[in-house]
Amino acid sequence: MGLLAPWFLAASLTLALPLWLHRLRTQSAEREKFSSTMLLETTEQRVHVRRRLRYLILLALRIALLALVALAFAQPFVERPPRQGLTGQNGSSFVVVDGSASMGRSGVFSQALAEVASIVDSAPAGVALQVALAAGPLRLLHEPSADRAVARRALNGIEPLPLRLDVGQLAREIGLHAASLPQPVTLHLVSDFQASAMPARFADAIPPGIARLEPHPVGTGLPVNWAVAFVRRAAHGVEVGAHAWGLTDGTADVELIINGESRGIRSITGSGPHLASFDAIELLEGENRVLVTVTANDDLDIDDRFHAVIANDPPSPVPLLTANAGGLAATYLSAALESGGEKNFEVKPMPLAEFDSRVLGRYRWAIVDDLLQLDSRLQGALREFIAGGGNLLAFGGPDGAVLDTLPIGGQRIAPAVLASRPDEFLSVGGIDARHPVLARTEGWHRLNVGQRLRVETAPHDRVLVRLDDDSPYIIEQRIGSGLLLTVLDALDNRASDLPVHPVFVGLVLEAANHLEGRATRMTNLVAGDSLLPGAGGGQIVAPDGSTLLALEATLRPRPVRLEAPGIYEVYAGDEVFLVAANVDPRESDLDPIDQEALELWRDSTHTAIAAATDGPTFAGPTRLELWPSLLLALLLVAIAESMLANHHLASRMGVSG
Amino acid sequence: MSERLPGQSAPRGLLQPEVLASLKNLDLVARSVVEGFLVGLHRSPLFGFSQEFAEYRAYAEGDDPRFIDWNVYARTERTYIKRFLGETNSHLMILLDVSASMDFGGTPVSKLRYAQFLAASLAYLANRQHDAVGCMIFDEDIRDFQPASSKAGRLQAVLHSIDRVTPGTGTSFERPFEQFRRHVSRRGLVALVSDFWCDTGRLLESVRPLAWQGQDIVLFQVLDPAEMAPGYRSNVLLEDAETGAAVEVTPEFLADEYPRKLRAHIDSIATAAAASGADHVLVNTGDSLDGALRKYLLFRQRRK
Repeated sequence: MGLLAPWFLAASLTLALPLWLHRLRTQSAEREKFSSTMLLETTEQRVHVRRRLRYLILLALRIALLALVALAFAQPFVERPPRQGLTGQNGSSFVVVDGSASMGRSGVFSQALAEVASIVDSAPAGVALQVALAAGPLRLLHEPSADRAVARRALNGIEPLPLRLDVGQLAREIGLHAASLPQPVTLHLVSDFQASAMPARFADAIPPGIARLEPHPVGTGLPVNWAVAFVRRAAHGVEVGAHAWGLTDGTADVELIINGESRGIRSITGSGPHLASFDAIELLEGENRVLVTVTANDDLDIDDRFHAVIANDPPSPVPLLTANAGGLAATYLSAALESGGEKNFEVKPMPLAEFDSRVLGRYRWAIVDDLLQLDSRLQGALREFIAGGGNLLAFGGPDGAVLDTLPIGGQRIAPAVLASRPDEFLSVGGIDARHPVLARTEGWHRLNVGQRLRVETAPHDRVLVRLDDDSPYIIEQRIGSGLLLTVLDALDNRASDLPVHPVFVGLVLEAANHLEGRATRMTNLVAGDSLLPGAGGGQIVAPDGSTLLALEATLRPRPVRLEAPGIYEVYAGDEVFLVAANVDPRESDLDPIDQEALELWRDSTHTAIAAATDGPTFAGPTRLELWPSLLLALLLVAIAESMLANHHLASRMGVSG
Repeated sequence: MSERLPGQSAPRGLLQPEVLASLKNLDLVARSVVEGFLVGLHRSPLFGFSQEFAEYRAYAEGDDPRFIDWNVYARTERTYIKRFLGETNSHLMILLDVSASMDFGGTPVSKLRYAQFLAASLAYLANRQHDAVGCMIFDEDIRDFQPASSKAGRLQAVLHSIDRVTPGTGTSFERPFEQFRRHVSRRGLVALVSDFWCDTGRLLESVRPLAWQGQDIVLFQVLDPAEMAPGYRSNVLLEDAETGAAVEVTPEFLADEYPRKLRAHIDSIATAAAASGADHVLVNTGDSLDGALRKYLLFRQRRK
């Protein structure tokens, strides 16, 4: 609704009301005979002027009050004109050049720069130009300007970065930035248009606030690329995964370099995924710097080098207190802890009958496969061990229902529930996914529990896993300085299928890391990821030897973006560890989106903008609604009018003061 | 007319302006006022106006033979004049201001009408005390003049002059009083009835020569209640009755500042009167006339 709206015009007529009423009032000021006015002069004139002024102000306030109400009927707005002046009398052209790692293939980026230069040169006069580099966060290379030389100068020296282009994120950033540009905005996107850069939802690729999208594809042709996908430690050596795109019978050499020393070269042939094994590789104790190179005749070089960090720590001994050292429980636990290729823990079964509790002090944590087998002496010793800072992983099956309280933990035990039919088996109802033990385990919902030990948890117990009937299944309990992690299930594969379920391996491994106090950290990242050195601050040394944090910044925990591939040294408190960063593997897949999809994208952009603006023009001046300001002004005027009217009325009624 | 016993109070209702306003005949008004007033007075030698016997003196040529005590003549064969306490040989000149400002008011009577009542009552009272009575009607100039005389029928002439007045124009004391001084050389009482909306200094300049001439002067300042406490509740444009000048005034001024200025003005009139050896009597037209008459009698008594 605008200022010509019927309601506004009708409401405007009310403006005459105070004028008429005040005129009536003025006219009704009677002229009366008085015997003499000799005493009414001088002083009266001053009072009258003041009163007259107040009267006029009151009239103005009343008119303003009605005018504001009338304006409110009109729902006014201010059309904020698009930013013009220096730039953009005829809108703007926002040129975004893809600077991701994939643009680093031979000749493509220079082709992109030439395309940008062409766009700049052909821009109509009066159009504001701005060039930005898209890789990671959008990087604006200069301020909007109609001067083409400014845009051309901004192209000098820019190069592709080892980062990924996420078109979904780019569209959101462009949408935010476009609102500040002279309207309408034409987006020129110069890119290789990798299919892997597109978001999962096509709608997310449409930048809001853009009148027109002009894609400028570069690097057309069938790309050929080799890339290393991963490096991992195998049982007897190291395995390297590689991938080839666009080849039929090409060959590449994969070289494994550990701590600067070449450990071998493997040749792989043909397109698709490949696995190169390097056997009998001895690693140094601690962290090893691994570099894998691919030597091949391909288009993209930056993904031919892959950095990795492989830890080679001696396994930590873990005492397993068990009544049957050769039983199933010991087998299950040993298999779980020693799985995964990296042998971080070594299970040492210790028969309860021969166990000397004094040896507990040698270990960081221990395992009890059946709480019901512990005598009171050992219970006391283990409780003392936990209270002194040790940790314990314990299992307790449904046989414990004969007891009143859970050994060591002390929780009350309820009668056991025995499932009689398969459909009465319980499954997991919920897990505490924030807990480090469960953060990376999956598949709990497929667990079947027939019998379990039902306990009543104490207020300070943390239930990590609950069953369908809301009964606790795994409990974490703090005793003194240590932790007790109790699984209310037996390791005999009778009460539940936990020991043979895949989730068991993850549970035991993560619980081991948690109870060992070994922080699970990401040692292999992609360029562009952020890394937090430590909760108490720290320092990061880049692959080129430079420090990423200034001295004062080392005291504050702040995530740092790793932009270059390579191996970073992280100093966090007393700890020093390595982190490898590589180009996002999705950048290696150079296949572009097909032409049909590209045109659909462009057309969809137009359609979306037209729908959003509800008119033939894609973007116009932005509207600033005035009703909040009107309401505030209305309130202020009403208060002022009331106060003044009260004063005026008091004067008229002869009320003093 | 039934005689009231001494000490009985006067029927105040008869003296109220609203009652007098209903009487068309000014003679009747004056008679009603004075008779009612006198009936209600206490017997007191201070007032000196009662018909109580005072002394005898020998008849002299020119005395009114009506006052010869024929009983004494029968016993002594000498003619004596019976004299009373209130009897004097004074004469009263009533100077009535009929300027336009005197036409203000109306509830129940205007200032002018009230002043007519007062002047007539004074004339009647003086006549009843055998004083010679005259009057001068004036605004900016003399409108009518009746020289003081105690001859029979003179009162009716005075009352007639007072009764027929109409509101005049502005107020000026200089010219009328100048002429008055030229026409009246005998000493006596002068009752000046006006609202005194004038400059105090000029009033003093006009009144003072009369005092020097030997006149005993009393100033009756007649003001209407609406003048003394205007009851306007909103802005009002007040037009001066004499000059036509208009001033819009606010209620707060009329409620606060105007009464102070009016009080100061009245005080200045009283001060000017005192400076001229005159008496000042403030008369509210909302009150009965007996107050003014009482003040007159006190004044007359004091001057004897």
